[in-house]
Amino acid sequence: MKTRHLLLLALLVAPLAAGAPPAAAAEPAAAPAPVALALGAALPMGDVKMMGVDGREITLAGAAGPKGTLVVFSCNHCPWAKAWEERLVAIGNTWPKQGVGVVVVNSNDPKAYPEDGLDGMKARAKQRKMAFPYVVDATSDVARAFGAAKTPEAFLFDKDGKLVYHGAIDDNAKEPKQVKERYLQAALEALAGGRAIATPQTKALGCSIKYRTKAAS
Amino acid sequence: MRRPALAAAVALLLAVALALAGPACAPSPRRAEKAAPRPAGPHVVTPASVEEVLAVVCQPGARAVVLNVWGTWCGPCREEFPDLVKLRRDYERRGLRLVLLSVDFDSEVPAVNRFLAEQGVDFETYLRAGGDDDKFINTLSPLWSGALPATFIYDGAGTLRDFWEGKASYAQMERRLLKVMEGKNEPDSTEVSS
Repeated sequence: MKTRHLLLLALLVAPLAAGAPPAAAAEPAAAPAPVALALGAALPMGDVKMMGVDGREITLAGAAGPKGTLVVFSCNHCPWAKAWEERLVAIGNTWPKQGVGVVVVNSNDPKAYPEDGLDGMKARAKQRKMAFPYVVDATSDVARAFGAAKTPEAFLFDKDGKLVYHGAIDDNAKEPKQVKERYLQAALEALAGGRAIATPQTKALGCSIKYRTKAAS
Repeated sequence: MRRPALAAAVALLLAVALALAGPACAPSPRRAEKAAPRPAGPHVVTPASVEEVLAVVCQPGARAVVLNVWGTWCGPCREEFPDLVKLRRDYERRGLRLVLLSVDFDSEVPAVNRFLAEQGVDFETYLRAGGDDDKFINTLSPLWSGALPATFIYDGAGTLRDFWEGKASYAQMERRLLKVMEGKNEPDSTEVSS
């Protein structure tokens, strides 16, 4: 009897433990996303000039603050970017005063999304009262160098220009009142306070960045 | 006394084994069917959690399952949509199951249903219901950045065999589907871009 039970048990469990299909998430992907900068990576393309909505060119290196630099890839047209825009503007208008430089970069090809042209960006910046540089990545090479795949996508660097946070603004684009984790705000506060960032990488849904086609060389 | 103890041991081992098997596919078709969401009807998206969508992926009977995550506001998603529908039309009889998952906001459901009707969709499709983005994305693939559209191809056993972000042409989708159906899915990231 006992042996028969054990045999039955083995028959039941063996296919689950050994032959059951693994979790989808455990399988290697065939075509991964653009490879984003790893934590600790240096801020790339710091000396590339980008035109801002105020008509002035800036560089990421020039916009760096004494405590760090926040670079957010965003745009005008994307519903996710729009959903987070008010929260992003609040962060962008606050943190430069606290020592973290903020630049919001639009890398989308306006041929694909006319709303993302400089005129549209100027209008949005005025409407939202953006007090930080909202700039055009005219070749999309800055996004490529960061491995930025979507909007919005945040990259926070420390005072030495090393990446310390990458990901979402918070955990709820749709319902600001239901946000439980303010990831970016928490990362900024930890950075400014000299503490380790508890959640240095997060993900959120967003619109694929429509890279400009690279000119033939 | 021995029988309850043995039954408890069996239950414990089964629970451990199920946990080890992961969230993609249940070991028994009966469980997958139970977890699948109740369809809302043709042209009407059915709200579903990521677990419920994976239960649909894992339902038996397909040689390959293409899961496409899309949104009405996403230009590349809309552009490739007719090709996905055509792919289903062309390969359904050969064992393709197409699972369309919209991540539109709740307020955009009328636009989703309109778009589905325009595209001639007469099969069940899904609307992501609630949940944390980070968990949703990583459950489908840790390699997915969260950018849209995203397409996942599973084999008949529910194992993820191919994945890409961005828009694909019909020829690209077809080639990669056939590789999975034939058990030859070489990674190829060069031909699809958003």
